[in-house]
Amino acid sequence: MSVAAIATKRESGRWLPLRFALRELRGGLHGFYVFIACIALGAMAIAGVGSLAASLADGLAREGQVILGGDLSFTLIQREAAPNERAFLQSHGKLSSAATLRAMARTADGQATLVEMKAIDGVYPLFGKVAFDPPGTLADALAERDGGFGALADPTLLARLDIKSGARLTIGNAIIEIRAALTNEPDKLAGGIGFGPRLLVSEAALRTTGLLQPGSLVRWHYRLRLPQSDATDAAARAVTAQARTRLPEAGWDIRNRYNASPQLERNVERFTQFLTIVGLTALLVGGVGVGNAVKSHLDRRREVIATMKALGASGRRVFAVYLTQVLLLALIGGVIGAVLGALLPFLIAWTFGAIIPLPIVPAVHPAELMLALIYGLLTALAFALWPLGRAHDVPVGELFRDAVASQPRWPRKIYIALTAAAVILLATVAVLLAYDRRLAIIYVATAAGVFVTLRLVATLLMFLAHHAPRARSTVLRLAVANIHRPSALTPTIVLSLGLGITLLVTVIEIDGNLRQQFAAELPAKAPSFYFLDIPSDQTERFDAFMRAQAPAAILQEVPMLRGRIVSANDILAENIKPKEDAAWVLQSDRGITYNGEIPAGSRLVEGKWWGPDYDGPPLVSFEKRIADGLGLKLGDPITVNVLGRNITAHIANLRTVDWQSLGINFVMVFSPQTFRGAPHTHLATLTYANGGTPGQESAVIRVVADAFPMVTTVRVKDALEAVGGIIANLVLGIRGASAITLLAAALVLGGALAAGHRHRVYDAIILKTLGATRLRLLSAYTIEYLLLGTATAAFGVLSGSLAGWLIVSDLMHLRFTWLPLPALAAAGLAVVVTLVMGLAGTFTALGQKPAPVLRNL
Amino acid sequence: MTNNSQAGPAIALAGVNLSLGQGAARVHILKDIDMNIGSGEAIGLVGPSGSGKSTLLMVMAGLERADTGTVAVAGENLSALDEDALARFRGRNVGIVFQSFHLIPTMTALENVAVPLELAGASDAQERARSELIAVGLGERLHHYPAELSGGEQQRVAVARALAPNPAILVADEPTGNLDEDTGRQIIDLLFAGHAQRGTTLVLVTHDSALAARCGRVVRLRSGRIDGVSAA
Repeated sequence: MSVAAIATKRESGRWLPLRFALRELRGGLHGFYVFIACIALGAMAIAGVGSLAASLADGLAREGQVILGGDLSFTLIQREAAPNERAFLQSHGKLSSAATLRAMARTADGQATLVEMKAIDGVYPLFGKVAFDPPGTLADALAERDGGFGALADPTLLARLDIKSGARLTIGNAIIEIRAALTNEPDKLAGGIGFGPRLLVSEAALRTTGLLQPGSLVRWHYRLRLPQSDATDAAARAVTAQARTRLPEAGWDIRNRYNASPQLERNVERFTQFLTIVGLTALLVGGVGVGNAVKSHLDRRREVIATMKALGASGRRVFAVYLTQVLLLALIGGVIGAVLGALLPFLIAWTFGAIIPLPIVPAVHPAELMLALIYGLLTALAFALWPLGRAHDVPVGELFRDAVASQPRWPRKIYIALTAAAVILLATVAVLLAYDRRLAIIYVATAAGVFVTLRLVATLLMFLAHHAPRARSTVLRLAVANIHRPSALTPTIVLSLGLGITLLVTVIEIDGNLRQQFAAELPAKAPSFYFLDIPSDQTERFDAFMRAQAPAAILQEVPMLRGRIVSANDILAENIKPKEDAAWVLQSDRGITYNGEIPAGSRLVEGKWWGPDYDGPPLVSFEKRIADGLGLKLGDPITVNVLGRNITAHIANLRTVDWQSLGINFVMVFSPQTFRGAPHTHLATLTYANGGTPGQESAVIRVVADAFPMVTTVRVKDALEAVGGIIANLVLGIRGASAITLLAAALVLGGALAAGHRHRVYDAIILKTLGATRLRLLSAYTIEYLLLGTATAAFGVLSGSLAGWLIVSDLMHLRFTWLPLPALAAAGLAVVVTLVMGLAGTFTALGQKPAPVLRNL
Repeated sequence: MTNNSQAGPAIALAGVNLSLGQGAARVHILKDIDMNIGSGEAIGLVGPSGSGKSTLLMVMAGLERADTGTVAVAGENLSALDEDALARFRGRNVGIVFQSFHLIPTMTALENVAVPLELAGASDAQERARSELIAVGLGERLHHYPAELSGGEQQRVAVARALAPNPAILVADEPTGNLDEDTGRQIIDLLFAGHAQRGTTLVLVTHDSALAARCGRVVRLRSGRIDGVSAA
């Protein structure tokens, strides 16, 4: 043979598997719909989540200046910028300032409600546009006229107080006239969650209210627009660095347009990871379907494989042909999923764009789609290589025997190694691309654990069925035998149903616990109100007033300041690498207090308390978990910036705090003399013994607003409702994403049952020929599915509850309450669905007359 | 056609017609079949491919329903029985041996043989199945799955399964078609031994005239009609 001929032969041999694979697929994709759907669903979830997150990130980046309100933003708490600070900022570009604070707005007819007030200067906004209805100029809308300052109000405020444009409100000492409804506030997103509706006023109006008392909770935001030529990331960083070195005591929170809302970005990243994990779960569940489909396809193809081998195909070539086929099918599923996923940001922008307060810029993100495709292919490989490996050793002798059930056999070592490699690669990609790798590793380990456990459960069930005492009833005996026979559906049903129920119960437990904690009843002894900004010189009067108004309620009052952690253990805050659950403490200013005694609701776990008469150098008591998260121990120095002064205290002790009591708790409690002379206000809570009635509560809001116009009243139920709204959206997201996984689980279960259908029809016909009635067969199948379903459901409820407990208590740090009824109901429903799906397939088998089937067997 | 047996007819067919298929593909398979088979008799059904032998066997076994005419087996009018009643009837009265064995692949030899006994509610199903298998020479293969048995062994399991409930009627459709000559002979010996020892009526479909000659009577079919009957 010539060299050219050999080369041509090699060339043609290389494409042989593809040619054979395509030839086999010529008959259509029948038998592969579940395979393709499983991969498509998982890839769609991953591509969709990735594309949406990327579109959101693009939006945040593009709209960074608008969201932030400038190229750079400097935020101070409880104080305005000093003249030298203002001069520094003005030297770098155009400056605009805005103050935000919570306040009580009162109407002439005695109604009072909390508003999130924002007072702006004449330059605001540096970027974007304020829109209001009826439209006009901003200066005119906020101008003072006839003794009233103009204001733009969030439409919800107008609805809540049932007022229209032109209505007048009192805030502190100022008369505020609503001039229009605020329809767009460009920098709203950077503000985070508000507990009340926005009220936009002028700085002059704020100053007239008299709310700017020393220590009152007001934030001053200074936004800087850099000269056009300087508006780069490097320029922004240079100004930031200068601000830090030249004004080290300022204690401001500096952000630039590239991290306009780090909290939001973190939340987007975290939620993206969570949803990617859900998508990955959908793929893993789907992987079971892929494995089943491949196994069932190869079972049907045994004769073809044996024929190919008889005609000279090696085991390796047979493997290559079917591997190519699997990859082609996975590619089809992956592409379908990626295309559908790519549409998600467009769909969301199109359907919800107007109501979602997020700047989504829908676009096709090839990297995200490619990732989804890679996940899809890797999953298909991880689950298909094992059954494909078995095809290598299909004996040619099968051609000379009647079709009989093949005994499960381990594939050759090379295929076991390839399967392991695909699984490891899949896990590695999932971990490397995760936002929180620890979480990803836990997920991978849990997923592996669940798979192995479910396989063990199936083996145990088969073992128990095999060794169960012989039942007297033939039907029961048949059912039990069906569970342990070779080619029994037990492993596939247990795996797909077990994964489905585990996931369902996990979601139900998380869902229920979140709802219970944020929407249902308040914890026992939870306060009804928080009162903010009680001036120090009015605390006694406030105390007496409240005791008179609500004699049966308990009033708790503590001094409160706001401060930022500047450094801990001599490491600057921005250089500290905190644990995930402690990072929030460094992200913005924190409420701090001082106390001579251990605060109520806290328990000392390390160190000693300083005592009421302590007069030495500043000491601080730290919350234990946060201290651990920041890597702090007793004796370490902490520097906080309070009112523009850096104060250093040493950690004297650590406490644990019951946050969920909703009482007054602080991460940091200082020794009493630390803030001697510093202006501050007080924070108080009011707690009714048996919870307040709506009547009592609305009366308190009204009388406090009248008697103490400077004090802001936050109704705990309203605040929880605001958080509850966000939680409800979160839960909705979790449910939506989980629905995809559950759909995949149902598909896999359906696929598994359908794959077993051929055997079922055969068995049913032979049994009917031998004298079995339809009722008996139906009873046997019902008992079989019920036994399998119930055993699997028991495991699913157990493992789902365990996963729910881990997520709620360990990752969300919330109190976990087991909710057995919804979990059992969901598991019961899943069993019924299995039964119906199983019997639906079997029923057609039972209806068939034996002769026509026997003739074709 | 008359029955030359002393006892009443085990199988009585009168005016049986049967067509299969739909529309243009519908084929009239059995045409005006009248036949009586006496209890304990052995009948050979012979004829060319497509003559209706196997279909006639299925009608006798209650696996196929005649379009017209009456089919009475073991004194029961099969036309009057519904699907489930037919199944119960088969379980009690008819043993069937197929050319392709039709064992349940997920059951061991013992379990396969025990199935009809268990379905009939026999409390000693396992023991009886065991003795049936020992009788056909498979005492060492009780717990083997069909995939682990040779073709001849699988057919022996099928014979044991057919004989286990002591049926009044034993029907066999080309039972040696998939087997070599020696093995086929052993299977036929087992069938005839069962027929002789238990007094079971045997209906045997075969292409093999020598085999048919072992039956008391040979019925020849051609194009769905009885073409001739000869005593062996």
